[in-house]
Amino acid sequence: MSVFHLHVNGRLYTVDIDGNMPLLWALRDILGLKGTKFGCGVAQCGACTVHLDGRAVRSCSVDVGVACLSKITTIEGLSSDGSHPCQKAWVELGVPQCGFCQPGQIMSAAALLTTTKGADPTDEQIDNAMRGNICRCGTYPRIRAAIHKAAESSS
Amino acid sequence: MSGIVRLTRRDFLRYTGVGAGALVLGSYISPSGELYAGILDTLENGFPLNAFVNILLDGTFIIFAPRSEMGQGTRSTLAAVLADELEADWSRVKVRQSDADGPRYSKELANPTPGGVPKYPISDELVQFADSSRSITLLFAPMRLFGAGIRTVFERAAARKWGVNTTECRARQHKVYHAASGRSVDYRHLLLQAKKVAVPTPAEATAALKPSKDWTFIGSDKVTPSARFVDVQDMVTGKAVYGADADPHRPGMLTAMIVRCPVANGEVKSFDDTETRKVAGVVNVVKVRLPATLAAGGVGAGFFPHAGVAVVAKNTWAALQGRRALKVEWDLSNLAAENASYDSKAYRGELEELTKKPGKTLRTRGDVDAALAAGKVVKADYYVPHLAQTPMEPPAAVALFENGRFEIWSPTQGPELTQHYVGLAMLKPDPMKLLLWQVTEPDEILKDCEKQEQIEFNELLGTVMGGKSLPELVKLRDELKQEVRDKVKVHVTLLGGGFGRKSKPDYAIEAAFLAREHPGVPIRVQWTREDDIQFSYFHAVSHQHLEAALDGEGHATAWLQRSAFPSFFATLFPPPDYLPAPARPLFSKARSAYHGGGEYPYGASIERAQGLEDMPFDVKDLRIENCPAQNHIRLGWMRSVSNIFHAFSAGSFADELAIEAGRDAKDYLLELIGKGRILDLEAEGVKCFDNNGLPAMKPIGPSAAYPADTRRLRGVVERVAKESGWDEKVKKYKGTKRGLGIAAHRSFLSYVAIVVDVTLNDANELTINEIHGAIDCGMAVNVDRVKAQMEGGMLYGLSYALLGEITVKNGAVEQHNFDDYPVLRIHQAPKNIFVHIMPSTGELPTGAGEPPTPAVAPALANAIVAAGGPRIREIPFFERHEDEGKVPRVKVRVL
Repeated sequence: MSVFHLHVNGRLYTVDIDGNMPLLWALRDILGLKGTKFGCGVAQCGACTVHLDGRAVRSCSVDVGVACLSKITTIEGLSSDGSHPCQKAWVELGVPQCGFCQPGQIMSAAALLTTTKGADPTDEQIDNAMRGNICRCGTYPRIRAAIHKAAESSS
Repeated sequence: MSGIVRLTRRDFLRYTGVGAGALVLGSYISPSGELYAGILDTLENGFPLNAFVNILLDGTFIIFAPRSEMGQGTRSTLAAVLADELEADWSRVKVRQSDADGPRYSKELANPTPGGVPKYPISDELVQFADSSRSITLLFAPMRLFGAGIRTVFERAAARKWGVNTTECRARQHKVYHAASGRSVDYRHLLLQAKKVAVPTPAEATAALKPSKDWTFIGSDKVTPSARFVDVQDMVTGKAVYGADADPHRPGMLTAMIVRCPVANGEVKSFDDTETRKVAGVVNVVKVRLPATLAAGGVGAGFFPHAGVAVVAKNTWAALQGRRALKVEWDLSNLAAENASYDSKAYRGELEELTKKPGKTLRTRGDVDAALAAGKVVKADYYVPHLAQTPMEPPAAVALFENGRFEIWSPTQGPELTQHYVGLAMLKPDPMKLLLWQVTEPDEILKDCEKQEQIEFNELLGTVMGGKSLPELVKLRDELKQEVRDKVKVHVTLLGGGFGRKSKPDYAIEAAFLAREHPGVPIRVQWTREDDIQFSYFHAVSHQHLEAALDGEGHATAWLQRSAFPSFFATLFPPPDYLPAPARPLFSKARSAYHGGGEYPYGASIERAQGLEDMPFDVKDLRIENCPAQNHIRLGWMRSVSNIFHAFSAGSFADELAIEAGRDAKDYLLELIGKGRILDLEAEGVKCFDNNGLPAMKPIGPSAAYPADTRRLRGVVERVAKESGWDEKVKKYKGTKRGLGIAAHRSFLSYVAIVVDVTLNDANELTINEIHGAIDCGMAVNVDRVKAQMEGGMLYGLSYALLGEITVKNGAVEQHNFDDYPVLRIHQAPKNIFVHIMPSTGELPTGAGEPPTPAVAPALANAIVAAGGPRIREIPFFERHEDEGKVPRVKVRVL
């Protein structure tokens, strides 16, 4: 057990935990931020996606000891009020069904739009950025459409 | 299961407490602390108008969602239906998820009434059960009636207030208007008047139903997707609450992870927790074994969990680390011994052998043997392995045990089932209590063909319990139910996907068990993805054998289908070998009396009715058979269930016949369906056809019939062919590596036809260019959600058709996570998905959750052949090394 300072969504948290604890569990169980979801634990499904310094990472596979070096953004911190272009596009097109994978999907999509600097991604760019995020409800076509819509609205 | 209370006169506003609320306020001029408690409760919960609707002082409606939300949209849709008829301003509507409370809702729904409300054929335990794609089917009409009835109360209240006739008052968007005088009044100002007016009779409420042209939401394709989607904002901001997120607002919540016996019915022999207890944060290590079962979890143990050892810790990571350090030895003797030798590869061979011999005949028409002897015979065998539902949210539940009472938070499709099984397991551990629960008066919700079985079961149970009469059994049953309901509260969270996995309450029972070990402390049981894949209630493996005869012109004149699959009912009820001889007749009778469960080792009526008994093709001579199959693993239901293997085989075989006859596949499919007719299955020997629990041929009382009408199957085939450009494209792609495949299927009372368009490259790599789906679901109530369910259901079908297979060796599942049980990802899914909803044919909506799925796998298999690829007769289609090219498959883009 050691003391770590986690910079999450613009706030500084001080926690006394095992440095091997994956960031996912620190966020959920220690900090009480439950928007980030557990789906597989082995970086296969993307439900746990957060940003470290704006880059999408699977928080189930990043230790607290490593994550504490970066600015962490979770779905709760993507915007204060659901106003991120991805969040708005997701709502407008009715993307979610069960909704469980969507925080991870949105975080991956938001990171993609950061890398394209808001420009509309190609199909291939969407494939590559989003293939790590599984949706069992089958919302993929709406996710694609929402990414395009978000790019359109942020340009 | 138990009977429902049936009232002879429906008065669904019996619960109108508006007046009572006013009285409550008046009576609280009393100098006691209760003054504040009562007012706070009223401020928060308002006054009940009926079991489904409360109203707050500011006029806000609280509409209760009795059925679980797993992405199918019923939580919002049913409330929006009620709100539409109620003329409620949606911005002044809150939706609240119901706790498990079967009697409350079944009383409200139970009464057959004039006016076309379907008779509610479901027992208390299943009133809130979200399965079989029928939440809208069953609740659409009642929700409309409640809305119209309450609106009528407000119109009458306004009329009374103004001293005018009710006929002059019209409600719109939370206000009542009197056109003649230009006056209007908000609902919030009518609460006192409403107490004084007559509650409308069912006939009056029926007369008050809005004509469809006045609907603002129901059936509208102008409503934006999120306009009636109460959780969408929470879902995109991380605020939506699922099982693992449930917060009982009590300090010190502990999280548990369980090592479960990998073989069905195995037990814990011993365990070594030395290393586990060294892990920081681990608080307890305890054996999990429910005493209420005849067997530890698995075959015949129903919903009781697998035996195992739980690590209870201060947080999930500590529990996981603790679990990794645990050493457990299993006892695989007795019941587990046979299961421990279960090998899915070998079992496949057994199923195939079974279909070489005649099975039990389910349906006959003409003389299939003579027709086969006279024509050109085509034969084919199809195989679908065990599959796992893998909802995105692995099972998790929270429980709190205090003062002899349980409180559960669970992402469950079955709130009352959860309450029922937690109660039985934790309060009354006695297998006989399970059977007591199944006592039903024969005249209540049963079909005629089910009554005899029920009567015999009741009598046998009465004898075994020392000579008890039916009324005595019913009294014992009701006392038991009351106790369970008093002592077990179940809250329902959102579900991160269900697909049938979360209709089983095993994970909630685990939480309850561990909660009892830690009274006063909330316990969360968290399943990993490995747990989810290894300890599912698996989709049943199946082998299908089909034969047809073609005459000189290529017309099909005979159809023989033999279906072999182990039944889920063998998971629910112990196979005879598991029981001592005296108990066998009782449990055997219990099984056959339970929703047409049939006898071991044959399929239950629900399973037989999913594409087998109701095989839709109009072939002159046919015989449908069910072969017996032993059960060695815990089975359950996966989205569309037995339709999966019945549609895959029939839909592929239809295409094989078309090719044999040298005909266009779509034209041939239409020819097989014929001009269309209502299937009279009873006339062809089918006993007790389970039409998704609703009448098939004739209405029962006011309940409509939902016949299997193959004209509607024709309709969706023609529609999807037109929309996909079938004729032009088939011509255009002939001889190329691009092709179209078609299939159609009726399931859960709806009709779906699918066209898949694929390309195969020289390296045998598959690209799915587009997929079209046409659905006839009677009427689409929430048009956008029907579209979403079609999109999602089609992708679900593509996923299991292409990828993922559960295999079992030495009784244990060999797959672990998404690396070795792959599911469809965005880059593998077609970019172009088209949904075509058939025009509404009336006001009887039918299912949309599962119907999109079964016809996808055969349509895809057919498209692959059309594109010059192999005929694939086994799911999943993806190529793997061990096949070495011997089994035809295709390559699928993976990570």
